[in-house]
Amino acid sequence: MTPLHQIGNFIRELVVPIPLWCVRALFVGTLIAVFIWVLRLPRETTTPENAIHWYQNLKVWACLALAIQILIYSVF
Amino acid sequence: MQTLSSLDYAIILAYLIGTLALGLYIGSKIKTGADYFLAGRRLPWWAIGMSLVATDIGAVDIVGTGGAAHQHGLAVANFEWIGCVPAMIIAAFVFIPFFWRSGVTTIPEYMERRFNVAVRSALAVCWIIFMACNLGIMLLASAKMMHVHLGMTVDACIYLTAFLVGVYTISGGLAAVVYTDMIQCVIMIGGCLLVLVLGIIDLGGIEEFQAAIEKQEQVQQQKALAENQETQLAGKQVSHTSLILPADADTPFPWTGIFFGLALILSPAYWIGNQAIVQRSLGARSEFDAKAAYVSGALLKNLIPVVVAVPGLIAFVKFPELTDGDQAFPELISHLLPVGLKGLFLAAFLAALMSSIDSYLNSASTIVTNDFYKRFYRRDASDVSLLKIGRIVTLLLVFWAIGFSFFLMTRSEGIYTIFQTLMAFFQGPAFAILLTGLLWKRATGIAAFIGFIVGVCFSITLFTLNQEAVYTALGIEPLFQISEPFLYFSIWAFVVSFSLIVIISFLTKPEPAEKIEGLVFSLKPDRGQV
Repeated sequence: MTPLHQIGNFIRELVVPIPLWCVRALFVGTLIAVFIWVLRLPRETTTPENAIHWYQNLKVWACLALAIQILIYSVF
Repeated sequence: MQTLSSLDYAIILAYLIGTLALGLYIGSKIKTGADYFLAGRRLPWWAIGMSLVATDIGAVDIVGTGGAAHQHGLAVANFEWIGCVPAMIIAAFVFIPFFWRSGVTTIPEYMERRFNVAVRSALAVCWIIFMACNLGIMLLASAKMMHVHLGMTVDACIYLTAFLVGVYTISGGLAAVVYTDMIQCVIMIGGCLLVLVLGIIDLGGIEEFQAAIEKQEQVQQQKALAENQETQLAGKQVSHTSLILPADADTPFPWTGIFFGLALILSPAYWIGNQAIVQRSLGARSEFDAKAAYVSGALLKNLIPVVVAVPGLIAFVKFPELTDGDQAFPELISHLLPVGLKGLFLAAFLAALMSSIDSYLNSASTIVTNDFYKRFYRRDASDVSLLKIGRIVTLLLVFWAIGFSFFLMTRSEGIYTIFQTLMAFFQGPAFAILLTGLLWKRATGIAAFIGFIVGVCFSITLFTLNQEAVYTALGIEPLFQISEPFLYFSIWAFVVSFSLIVIISFLTKPEPAEKIEGLVFSLKPDRGQV
């Protein structure tokens, strides 16, 4: 048993008992955190100069991509 | 696979001629090195977005993902979902605009500006070894699959693919790669969608499909119980439709590897630091296009597992007796697709194959020309001479890829595994130097170099200690409990590299403020400033 084995076993014993609902919350929570971060981005970083239409705001499409992910990881 | 009809061959031929013609047409417009390596910085977001997706999904991935879904279930889709989408969104708004504004051609070039030439060279060497080896692997693996479908010899398939991809990549550079990738992306998704739709119709609809999966899982669990071979997987009632699998499940995709290895390290390292990926966004016509390309790619990524992994689940229901998962897709094509549509799917397969090889060919040539030839041999090389060198290097890489694929044919399968794990060896350390370089102004060149080299050596050591011959000879147990622990290599290599960079940076003299101005995220550069 090398020190690497001992470290590995210690971490394994730590993560194996974590229930899968907690893990799902971690996955979904991470995606929600990124979603909120995108929502809070300043408008000038997500739109081109002289943008006039809502669909020119990348925030909309980034949030859509993340919302699909949140839905997927909540269900499957 | 059944024999192809003349209609199938006509569709495949039309696709190949179309791709070649487009590549050669774009090639006729290329005049300088900047045109060749960065498409003259004129690429629109929609072309780059589709190219990003096409490059990421190769022919081997289509077959491999379908196969993994057949064997391990939907968890393989993590590689396209949480293993891509969040990293692409973060890269779109944080890192990609930063690189675009800095005006660099390669990621190693940024590393020299931020740290030193040693870091640039070490990273460039790792990338070039990986890309050169991967070109041979992709060519051989694809030829092996192609020869079954097209009825040609493996040798002929290697020559044919190398010729087709070589001609338009040598001629048109990045622009040809991106625009042909765009067509390839449409054909690839269309072909896979066809298999998915026909498969679900064949099973009687979506509800019947879900019921059939549950029924098949019950059959397999009962079979395992009857044979008294209840595995940990069966004991934990792992479903074929679950994305999140227990940490101790007998699968290459436990949640610990997926979350810590894939989502937090490999995925950002790939989308922020992979030259083959980042290069096309550096060729965007504006900073907004560079961002929009990544966001549109992320949107498209949501669809990919549906068309690539779900057919594997259809095969799980239709052909549960298959022991080799890689046969799942070919079996579906044989049983589901009628004459003509089979040709369309094979065109999609060829599209996936070519879109990955052309990108690695172009990026490898960019690194050799910019990070070695221009950096060490001809610093004053003109833009026109760089174009000539770029084309010569691409041609040499085509010859290398052909030679290496023939060499691999004579070796054992173990060599494939080693090279496929190659990326996990240096992706963790590469991400550590990129992250600290971009976000932490106290990170020093010496620390980055030592952290990178030690990190790579550490992951190679982990890989070696996990080989059966090695741990048996040493009389120790394997370090990892799962069969393909490449996700864990990247976690540990990242942790070691990152820790060393932080410790050594505090022990060494800080980089002068004027040197790193505009290169660290807190001091954003204007275009051309650095």
